[in-house]
Amino acid sequence: MLKILNKIVLLFLSAAFSLVVFAQSSADECLNCHQELDDELLMPAKNYVNDIHYKKNITCAGCHGGDATTDDDEISMSKEKGFIGVPDKTIRYEVCINCHSDEQTMKRYGSNLQVDQYKKLKNSVHFQPSYNNQGPIADCITCHSVHNIKSVNDPLSRVYPTKVVELCGSCHSSAKFMKNYTSSLPVDQVIKYKTSKHGMLNSKGDPNVAECASCHGNHDIYSINDTRSNVYATNIPKVCAKCHSDSKLMSKYGLPTDQYESWVSSVHGVALLEKDDISAPSCNDCHGNHGAVPPGVESISKVCGSCHVLNMELFEKSPHKKAFDENDFPECETCHNNHKIRYVTDDMVGTQESAVCMDCHSNEKDDKGYFVAGRMKLLIDSLKYEDKETKEILKDATQKGMDVSDAEFLLKDVRQVLIQSRTTIHTFNLDIFKESINPGFETISKVKEEGIAAVDDYYFRRLGLGISTIIVTFLVIGLYFKIRKLEKKS
Amino acid sequence: MTEDPKNSNINNNRRDFLGMLLGGGFFAWIISLFYPVFKFLDPPKIEEVKVSSVKIGAVEDMAKDSGKIIKFGNKPVIVIRKLDGEYAAFSGVCTHLDCIVQFRQDYGQIYCACHNGKYDLNGRNVSGPPPAPLKKFGVTIKKDEVIVYEEEA
Amino acid sequence: MKKSNGKTFKERSFGWIDERYDVTGLIEFAKKKSVPKFRETIWYYFGGIALLLFVIQVLSGILLLMYYQGTEDAAYESVKFISTKVSFGWLIRSVHSWSANLMVLAIFIHMFSVYFLKSFRKPRELTWYTGFILLALAMGFGFSGYLLPWNELAFFATKVGTDITRQIPVIGDSLLILLRGGEDVTGATLSRFFGFHVAVLPGLFTVFLVLHLMFIQRQGMAEPEDWRKLPESEKKQIPFFPNFTLRELLIWLIVINILAILAVFFPWELGNKADPFAPAPVGIRPEWYFMFMFQVLKLLPANILFLSGEFVGIAAFGIGIFLWFIVPFWDKRTPESRRNKAITYVGIFVVMFIIIFTILGFILD
Repeated sequence: MLKILNKIVLLFLSAAFSLVVFAQSSADECLNCHQELDDELLMPAKNYVNDIHYKKNITCAGCHGGDATTDDDEISMSKEKGFIGVPDKTIRYEVCINCHSDEQTMKRYGSNLQVDQYKKLKNSVHFQPSYNNQGPIADCITCHSVHNIKSVNDPLSRVYPTKVVELCGSCHSSAKFMKNYTSSLPVDQVIKYKTSKHGMLNSKGDPNVAECASCHGNHDIYSINDTRSNVYATNIPKVCAKCHSDSKLMSKYGLPTDQYESWVSSVHGVALLEKDDISAPSCNDCHGNHGAVPPGVESISKVCGSCHVLNMELFEKSPHKKAFDENDFPECETCHNNHKIRYVTDDMVGTQESAVCMDCHSNEKDDKGYFVAGRMKLLIDSLKYEDKETKEILKDATQKGMDVSDAEFLLKDVRQVLIQSRTTIHTFNLDIFKESINPGFETISKVKEEGIAAVDDYYFRRLGLGISTIIVTFLVIGLYFKIRKLEKKS
Repeated sequence: MTEDPKNSNINNNRRDFLGMLLGGGFFAWIISLFYPVFKFLDPPKIEEVKVSSVKIGAVEDMAKDSGKIIKFGNKPVIVIRKLDGEYAAFSGVCTHLDCIVQFRQDYGQIYCACHNGKYDLNGRNVSGPPPAPLKKFGVTIKKDEVIVYEEEA
Repeated sequence: MKKSNGKTFKERSFGWIDERYDVTGLIEFAKKKSVPKFRETIWYYFGGIALLLFVIQVLSGILLLMYYQGTEDAAYESVKFISTKVSFGWLIRSVHSWSANLMVLAIFIHMFSVYFLKSFRKPRELTWYTGFILLALAMGFGFSGYLLPWNELAFFATKVGTDITRQIPVIGDSLLILLRGGEDVTGATLSRFFGFHVAVLPGLFTVFLVLHLMFIQRQGMAEPEDWRKLPESEKKQIPFFPNFTLRELLIWLIVINILAILAVFFPWELGNKADPFAPAPVGIRPEWYFMFMFQVLKLLPANILFLSGEFVGIAAFGIGIFLWFIVPFWDKRTPESRRNKAITYVGIFVVMFIIIFTILGFILD
């Protein structure tokens, strides 16, 4: 009796074992077969078990076509069954988009991934033909790889925030490779990035800081001069603000979130966003693109000075440079602010309440700065007033019909003098300032002279006419009497 | 015809007065006519552009032991580069009768062709009719550029 | 009075000239010259006014020549220079422009007064012919002078004006090139017009003016029928020297002063420099003395029968002007004994025609 029971248990066990073994071996015959092969035929099969598509029960035939239920390679790899083998590099992306661009398919697999990747990619710069005409520069597989594709939220995925920098850099940091496309693109982005706050935190494993795709986009990457690009001049501020204006996100790093708002209303913001002046600076122009760091105290004037050269040079030679650096005042920012740079008016200089000079200086006995500030304001106001007065004189002359076009032309110089003098303020030196503003007064006095002469001439003409008319009247009367006398005589 | 003497006197006076009026009037009228005509013929002054300095080129643009005339605003100025490489500049108008002078390499002097006047390379009149030296202009070299300027009196 | 040989200084100087040129006869002749005194005497002044204005033109023109430069690059600028920088330049320039217009007006009035008083009749036919030629020359002065400032209005007015010569058959196109110094109005046109204005026309004008004046002096003032018909006792004359002359002087003084008033209160404008590539500015028109012809041409339809409208207009004007020119010829045909109304009616028609179309030219834009 026991012998029969043993046999039944053995049978049952082996059946169960076979079942288990059977269960272990995949329903994917392609996979099973290829796992027995060598080298390049083995690699895909070996990797595929880690692939997310495998976990979703998609067989090899799901991409390569054919029949995955049979191990008869006459059938499983037959064209009739739709087998396409290794798809050509130029069209292999079509395999991906077959499912990934179809919303129904994605839903069927229980995924809420977006389906617009291809739509975004196909117009992007990466989808242009590669230099050796072997398909697009970068397609799905270039970045996501194949056979071991992980979910984008998987830290092991090639496109996970902490790994994507290396991925992009694999092409973009190779001068030899980039040369095939354009020598003008830099190849130091990754190096610079690693020096930035973003880069340093990313290296430490923070997936929330900005990396390549955060700013440039993932699928819809365009040339930086293309207006569709996420990093086109007018688009960058919003890109930075996406994180830097998010107080919840920024609170983790202890950073303020008012920069974007301040900048948008500033001169630079208005210039860039409203006047479409793409030379106007936004975040990246002052903070850098890849090596983004806020400029240090001593380097601020150099940042501003990259456009405002003259102001920078004058400031660095002025007494304020030493004073500011010693006191840890951030150079230009002290008077002009960093983000909310407003349109400069003459009210900013001087000794009145609105003047920035009064933030430090005061009406003390040995405060030379107070005196200089007051004088500068006085000279500027005086020049503006005289300019206005002279314009009135010229207008009067013109209305009287006198020609003062030469004088009007000269007067244009005054505007130039004012612009130059406002720059010279940054020397904070009264003598140099006087030198730059005095030509304005000289021009004004010359023009005024001409204007007054023109008006005088107007009156002179009428006076001259009056005198000669009087003379002629006398003559006419005299002649009339002479004629009468003559006629009476005869 | 006998005339009443008193009447004729009055008539004479009237005649004289009328004559004076007419004569004086005509004279005044002629003046009022000729005054504008003469002022018209007097050419207006063209504004002198106040030139204070003129850049004339790089230091090596002029050979040593040579000279040239440049325009300084509306005045001619002679610039010379001596054998030792030093620059000098003087008014280019001869002090004799206002001809424009020139540099003579063969004399090593500044020369006026009109009446054979000669000046040395410091502008002093050394031979011929010129009664006075040439006015000196300043020369300075800034960043490899030669600049001629008018010295303050 | 200093006397030497028993003669005064005045008598001696006169004697010196008389010995050589026998002027006594001339003076006797001049003393006899007189002007009929009647209601129409006032018209006798207009010839003198035209002459005065011509002399003013010559003198002011010579003064302008001191500063004017007749090249494309400098013409406008030189006129601007005269008007703004030269002392009294504004006065000389405005006087020249106003006097030009007043001169043409004076000549027109003079011509019409002569016409209506029929002073063109024998023996004064040549005086009429030379006078008419002088009118044509004066209008030529006006046309050529108008271009000289080389401003926008002048440029286009010249373009339009010279275009009309195209309508003249046979010689039209060659005449156009002759006038313009090329196909278009360019600096070459300016040079030519300048030459016409300061050399050719003054020369011709002087010749015909001298003839015109000589004829008048030789024949004396015309005595119109109405005056001649008066009874001897009522026929009054004004001796030319000194009475009429003094009167003329009075009027001339007033005319000169009017010119000064116009120059001060209505200075002549300069506008913008001519730009051949700019579109024609709004309101280009010829000077008023060409306006009536211009307006008629504008109103004519493009085609009349088989001929172009412009051609018909120009031909009609040409014929009309020619007939007017030869009025002494066809007036002879009409009997003098009867009061000839035909001439008067034709004259009135012409005057009204000119006035109406000139006005239309200005108000219809």
